Amino acid sequence: MRRALLLAFLFLASPASAEQLVSGVSQDLIQITSTYKGSDIVVFGAIEGQPSGEPRTPRDIVVVVRGPESDITVRRRDRVAGIWINHDAAKLSGMPAYYFLASSRPLKDIAPQNALTHYSIGLQNLQPDTVHSHHDYEPFRQAALRHLTKDKLYTETGGVEFLSETLFRAHVPVPAGVARGQYKVEVYLFRDGEVQSAQSTPLFIDQTGLERRLYNFAHNQPFGYGLAAVAMAVIMGWISSLLFRRPN
Amino acid sequence: MEIYLPIAEMSVQWIVILGMGLGVGFLSGLFGVGGGFLLTPLLVFYGIPSGVAVATTLSHITASSISGAVTQWKKRAIDFKMAGVMLAGGLVGTAVGVWLFAIMRRAGQMDLVVSLTYVPMLGIIGGIMLRESMRTSRARRSGNAPGRIHPVNHVWIHGLPLKARFRQSRLYISIIPPIVIGFLVGAMSAIMGVGGGFIIIPAMIYLLRMPTNVVIGTSLVQIIGVAIVTTLLQATSNYAVDIVLAAILVVGGVVGAQFGVRAGAKLRGEQIRFLLALLVLAVALKLLWDLVVTPADFYSIGGS
Repeated sequence: MRRALLLAFLFLASPASAEQLVSGVSQDLIQITSTYKGSDIVVFGAIEGQPSGEPRTPRDIVVVVRGPESDITVRRRDRVAGIWINHDAAKLSGMPAYYFLASSRPLKDIAPQNALTHYSIGLQNLQPDTVHSHHDYEPFRQAALRHLTKDKLYTETGGVEFLSETLFRAHVPVPAGVARGQYKVEVYLFRDGEVQSAQSTPLFIDQTGLERRLYNFAHNQPFGYGLAAVAMAVIMGWISSLLFRRPN
Repeated sequence: MEIYLPIAEMSVQWIVILGMGLGVGFLSGLFGVGGGFLLTPLLVFYGIPSGVAVATTLSHITASSISGAVTQWKKRAIDFKMAGVMLAGGLVGTAVGVWLFAIMRRAGQMDLVVSLTYVPMLGIIGGIMLRESMRTSRARRSGNAPGRIHPVNHVWIHGLPLKARFRQSRLYISIIPPIVIGFLVGAMSAIMGVGGGFIIIPAMIYLLRMPTNVVIGTSLVQIIGVAIVTTLLQATSNYAVDIVLAAILVVGGVVGAQFGVRAGAKLRGEQIRFLLALLVLAVALKLLWDLVVTPADFYSIGGS
């Protein structure tokens, strides 16, 4: 919540810098169809205006795409009487289901830690809004980061390319397993470790066509949907026994 | 060759899913088991969320069981009365199972309960079947007439009240044991996404002493009933049935089941029981292994 307010402030009242960020996304709606196997979007932009101070220090672009907020439950196994069982758990609320970050240089060279924490830029700076846990939740958070990174839902790369002094772009992979919902594409312009300008663009990911209708059917008329699934299984099982009837 | 599953919300290689359906369908036709105890772990291993895997496997079980049951029905190898009695217990068991499912899910102990109940149960059943089938096989080879199957402690079963005549099975026994077996299997079906054939069949052979030729058909009818009801419960309470995934599994399953039934007709009863025993023991060992071996990662991510 605090982050949202901060961002709103930043986006509305740009700091008194002469440099402005103009950015766009190649797609603002991704439709998941039956053959969807992941896609790429391109985030691009330009830096307009001249820096106010001299001498010129390097400027950096950070692109963040984050997905719908979700609750992540992490469980830890402990050995009890010789077998491994789920013992402790932590529920991390308000973590993004998808997080992609691309930067023009390693984050630690771009800005000091407190600035990154402020805008929750970087995987290590993703914090849940609330935590249900009896223990220190940090190891559970680390485990969540590790698992989601392995599933390619969390990514941190140096994938921002400068095409010229002022033009940049980044490719953002949207894997097939992403959750449906509203995403945010955020672009930050850093100089001297401070955010000079930032832009946020919404991105929607949704199912379409038959997939959408089946999903709605399953949730709006679950009993009818269940009957349809049963009928499908019964009819196909019966047909197969007719087709494969032994000739005797 | 990828297809998007609307309920699981992920893309899968449909040819792999079809292959799983075929393979498990073959085993289900061969042994007369639904194959859920293999298919559910396979789907989870592939990356399908476990809730969806449990619920959707039941469609596969329904279809391949019907395919097998029609074949058995034509051979007049179904005891409908016995199936009905077991199903009565099974439906109550299903309701209890769905309730337990919710409690264990909330506590995060789903996997543990599944493993702890599977390991001893599969181990004992697999062990008994393996010993019996090898003994019968040896007796046949040495030229002796195969000895009768020795029922496990059947004296008390014959002392129970509410006796009924099961003409097809040539039995006159109390209806209480079949109802209890049906109840237990119904509960397991809801909790684990299995049809329970691998429990019912040995129970019918060794506890109820039903003739082997009616056992497969009769267990299929009971499994079909429980699978249909559980599918409806899972669809309405958990929205976890993925009809696209189910369709692919079903197509593979029914084709595989037909080949399985045919292969089964070429094998003798004790050979089928020997192979099923090996399969059951393999699954038990795998589950035991996962329980005692130090995990590579102590942390896991579960649904909310």
